[in-house]
Amino acid sequence: MGTRPGRIRGGRPGDPAVSHVYQAVGWSPQKRKYDLLIALCMVVYLGAFTAITLATQPFVTVETLILRATGSLGFVMLSFILLIGPLARLSPRFLPVLYNRRHLGVATFLVALVHGAFATLQFHALGEVNPLASVLSSDGSFTGGGAFPFQPLGAIVLVVLFLMAATSHDFWLSNLTPQVWKGLHMTVYGAYAALLGHVALGALQGEGKEYLWPVTGGVAMTVFGLHLYTGITERRRDRAGAARTGGLDAVREREAAASAKTVPAGYVRTAIHAAAIPDGEGRVAPLGGERVAVFRNGTEISCISNVCRHQMGPLGEGRIIDGCVTCPWHGFQYDPVTGCAPPPFDDRIETYDVAIHDGLVWVNPVANPLGTASRTAQSPVSGAAAPPPGETS
Amino acid sequence: MIALAVYGAAGAVFAVPFALRGAGAIDPAARGGTWGFRVLTVPGVVALWPLMLVKWVRAGARERS
Repeated sequence: MGTRPGRIRGGRPGDPAVSHVYQAVGWSPQKRKYDLLIALCMVVYLGAFTAITLATQPFVTVETLILRATGSLGFVMLSFILLIGPLARLSPRFLPVLYNRRHLGVATFLVALVHGAFATLQFHALGEVNPLASVLSSDGSFTGGGAFPFQPLGAIVLVVLFLMAATSHDFWLSNLTPQVWKGLHMTVYGAYAALLGHVALGALQGEGKEYLWPVTGGVAMTVFGLHLYTGITERRRDRAGAARTGGLDAVREREAAASAKTVPAGYVRTAIHAAAIPDGEGRVAPLGGERVAVFRNGTEISCISNVCRHQMGPLGEGRIIDGCVTCPWHGFQYDPVTGCAPPPFDDRIETYDVAIHDGLVWVNPVANPLGTASRTAQSPVSGAAAPPPGETS
Repeated sequence: MIALAVYGAAGAVFAVPFALRGAGAIDPAARGGTWGFRVLTVPGVVALWPLMLVKWVRAGARERS
C-alpha cells in the first residue's frame, strides 16, 4: 500500500519522469503533501485523544493510553481507507485521496503494529507461555468458556495489514499478477470484519464504554452503507445506459440489419453520442457484463477496456494525455487505438472496433487480439467551430 | 509456533540473495532497482518466499533454455 515505484507513467503534474526501474518511492510534490497531511492528521488525533483522556481519566497509565490511542486511530484510519474507494466512485473530487492510498495503508499497518506490540508486551510478555502463543490462546475459546477470544481477531487484522503493506510496491503487483494482487488486497474487507469483532468483543466490553457501541456501529454502518449505495448507483447507471438503447442484445438483433449499410454485423449500439464526448475524454458503456471506455482523440473515436492493468482503475474516467489514455488513479497510460502502453512498458488492454451510426457509437463486443490496432471511427469535434462565450464571430 | 519461526527464519535467509539478485532475475525492471527498493521487498519476500523461490527457479530455467 505505501510504496511508490518509479515505474509509474507520467501524466500527473509533478510526477517523476517516466522510468522503468523500480525505486523505493517515486516522490513527487503531491505525494510529499499527501504524506505530510497523513502524518499531521495522525499527530493531531493522537494529541487530541491524549488530552481528552488525561482530562477525563487522570490516573490512566501510559501503556493503556498508548493502547487506546493507537487502537482507536487504527480503526479510524482503516475505516477511512475503505471509504475512499466508494467516495471516489461517486465523485472525482476524492480521486486525489485515492491516488496515494497505499501510503495511508502502510501508515495504518504501522499504527496497528504499535498497538499490537504494546498489547503483547503489556499483557503477554511476562508469563511462561510464548507471548505470541499467549495472544492466541489466553482469551478462552471460540466454543465457549471464558471471555470471547477477541485478541486472535486483532492478530488476524495485523497479519492482513502486514501482507498488504509488504506487497504494496508495484514489484509485487507485477510479479503476483494484478488479479492475485487485487485478491490479496481485497482481504482487507475480511480484516475489517475481524477488526469490528476485535473492537466490539474486546474494548467495548469494559465497563463505562457503552458509548463506544453507537460510535463504532455508526462508523461500520457508514462504511457498509456507502459501499452498498455506490454499488446500487453504479448498477442503476449501467442499467440506465442499457435501457436507453432498449437493451443491448435486443437492439443488436433488431437494428443491426437496419444499420447494415454503415454498421458491420454483430456490433452493439451504446447510449453514447459521439458528438457528446469532449476531445481527450471518454465515456463508459456496459458491454456484455463488462464495461468499455469510448474515447475521443481529436476526430477519432476508439474503444478500450475500462479496466486498467495496474490496479483495475476506471480508465473511462481518465483523460488522453500525450496521445495516451491516462488512468485517473495512478497515471498508467495506453494507446487508445492499440491498447498498448507506451515503450518501454509492455502492458496491454483489450480494444474494440467501433462505428458511428445516427450519431451513436456502436461497438463490436468481441475484443481484438491484444496489441493489435482496433478499427476506429471519425467524428468531428463538437463545437469546434463555435466561438467562445462572450465573443462574436 | 516453531513451524512459524522456521518459516520466517528461512524467509529471512532467502530474502537477502533474492533482494540482491533474484528480484532482477524475475523482473527486468528490478535489475537496476535502488537499494531502498530492494530493502522494501524484504518483508514481502519473508512472507511469500516459497512463491518467489519458484519464480526465481523458473526464471533461471528460462534463461538457460
